[in-house]
Amino acid sequence: MSAASRVGTGLDARIRLSRGEIEVDVALTAEPGQVIGVLGPNGGGKTTTVLALAGVLHLAEGHVRVGGQVWDDGRHRLAPEQRAVGLMLADSLLFPHLRALDNVAYGPRSRGVGRHEARDRARTELERVGLSDRAASRPRELSSGQQARVALARALATDPALLLLDEPLAALDPDTRARTRSDLAARLTAYDGVTVLVTHDPLDALTLADHLVFVEDGRVTQFGTPAEVLSEPRSAYVGTVVGLNLYAAQGDSHGHVHTADGGLIITTSPTEGAVWATVPPSAVSLHRHHPEGSPRNAWRLRIASVTMQGQSARIGLVGEVPLTAEVTLESVTALGLQVGHDVWAAVKATEVRTYPR
Amino acid sequence: MRYAARWRSRVALGVPAALALLLLVVPLVALLLRADWARIPSDLATPTVLPALRLSLTTTSVTAVLCLLLGTPLAWFLARSERRATSWVRALLTVPLVLPPVVGGVALLMTWGRNGLIGQYLTPFGIQIPFTTVAVVLAETFVAMPYYVLAVEGAMRGLDPRLESVARTLGASDVRYLRTVGIPLVLPGIASGLALAWARALGEFGATITFAGNFQGRTQTLPLLVYVELERDPQVAVSISIMLLAVSVLVLGVLRGRWLR
Repeated sequence: MSAASRVGTGLDARIRLSRGEIEVDVALTAEPGQVIGVLGPNGGGKTTTVLALAGVLHLAEGHVRVGGQVWDDGRHRLAPEQRAVGLMLADSLLFPHLRALDNVAYGPRSRGVGRHEARDRARTELERVGLSDRAASRPRELSSGQQARVALARALATDPALLLLDEPLAALDPDTRARTRSDLAARLTAYDGVTVLVTHDPLDALTLADHLVFVEDGRVTQFGTPAEVLSEPRSAYVGTVVGLNLYAAQGDSHGHVHTADGGLIITTSPTEGAVWATVPPSAVSLHRHHPEGSPRNAWRLRIASVTMQGQSARIGLVGEVPLTAEVTLESVTALGLQVGHDVWAAVKATEVRTYPR
Repeated sequence: MRYAARWRSRVALGVPAALALLLLVVPLVALLLRADWARIPSDLATPTVLPALRLSLTTTSVTAVLCLLLGTPLAWFLARSERRATSWVRALLTVPLVLPPVVGGVALLMTWGRNGLIGQYLTPFGIQIPFTTVAVVLAETFVAMPYYVLAVEGAMRGLDPRLESVARTLGASDVRYLRTVGIPLVLPGIASGLALAWARALGEFGATITFAGNFQGRTQTLPLLVYVELERDPQVAVSISIMLLAVSVLVLGVLRGRWLR
């Protein structure tokens, strides 16, 4: 089957609407079985996109087509209860007065399936998320991770063609999150519909999604596979998410890269014209005096922040070329790195990557 | 000196506070003191009391059911809508709360009376609403419904609106959502709304006597009977009043114990 016809049976959406302050214009396509990770800063339009796909919010323009069926074309639309859609939100939002089994059976029951059949289906779904023994529990008797899994089972019990997960792991503590993430990944591999996963945790996106869409200020700023996004971020936000220093710059054939703020970076991988340049924080070394020898880039910068992260420290530097450097805790004490002090930052030209903007 | 100043300010606030408390409590104490406890059972068994008691119970029950059936959907619309018109509807709804009940009675006459806004179309069919038991129910509903709707609307606003979004993506229509999720989750609010509305209907006097009159067995509810008995046999009036007071305290106790904090 060609890619186009596969998308025809998957998700094809162009979402345009304004909600509050923000004008959203987001295009999303996916083949059946794919997981699209939607990332972006809060208030950027992620949840609005999800609610429009669910039919809770109405498109001003655009379209939502799923599995070859038109859900919304900007004028006519199917109500949420008419769409083959599953929705799971951050707080699992189980119906507090219903047992886990009846929460999961709620969808099939609402769609006209008989009581026994719906309960059988619910039992199967609970088993798939490893919770067959908690069928009789009320939501408040379940741990937050179990609640999330019940919510996932509930969303999938109606055989949705489109599964919407809006920050499904955000309300969990770090331990539970890691376990629930792998449970979620296991369940999603067996799911043949399209999944749209909204998150601001890059780890969720990288481990669960086939494609990433970055939505900032209501617009898509980058689209690609996790590998593409990791190596070539194309907005400041994406750069932060993937942990690279990113500069919008002008490059020439001699390996000189001029940043918008007037900084000069030297690279061994020149690209001419408008470029993005990246510097990995781990490639930055800090020195008290002007470094001797091989590094081609050396800037005198001021320390703006020092934060610890496990066994290393991240040093925020401002000046000609604003940088985040990752150094060992020893060098923090050895160099006496303190906020407000000046320091030399060195980066080898081979560590600077450039690619067209 | 400072001690005296503090004492003076305590008195300046304490005296009016005590007066306020006395104004509220003394009448209740007086009622209890005047009661002839041994006579209460026989007083309540007199031929005028039993029909009034039965009428009060039936009309207030019907009022409660009307509140439940009609008021719950209204509360839901008010709770979920963010339109400007909603706040006008809500404001309109509070008017009967503060309106003198007699005025309510006059308004009901203008609506359902022989030449009233709606009554004029009923007259040709021989249907007459004023001065019937139906009129009692209408008067009680007019004064009680706002209490119910506002209580239930408040409870429904407390629900996470995303619950409804989830229910709808699962395939639930509005009615199914309300029946299976919305109402079960606001049952405490519905119960306290019903208790408030029922208590208000039970005490209804002004609108009833204006719109429904004072006919024994047909429109004479307990409060109307108290008024009549005060002229005829004050001791019976006191006995009925004691009973109504007991019911009010009971409702309050139920509300405080379970739903009001």
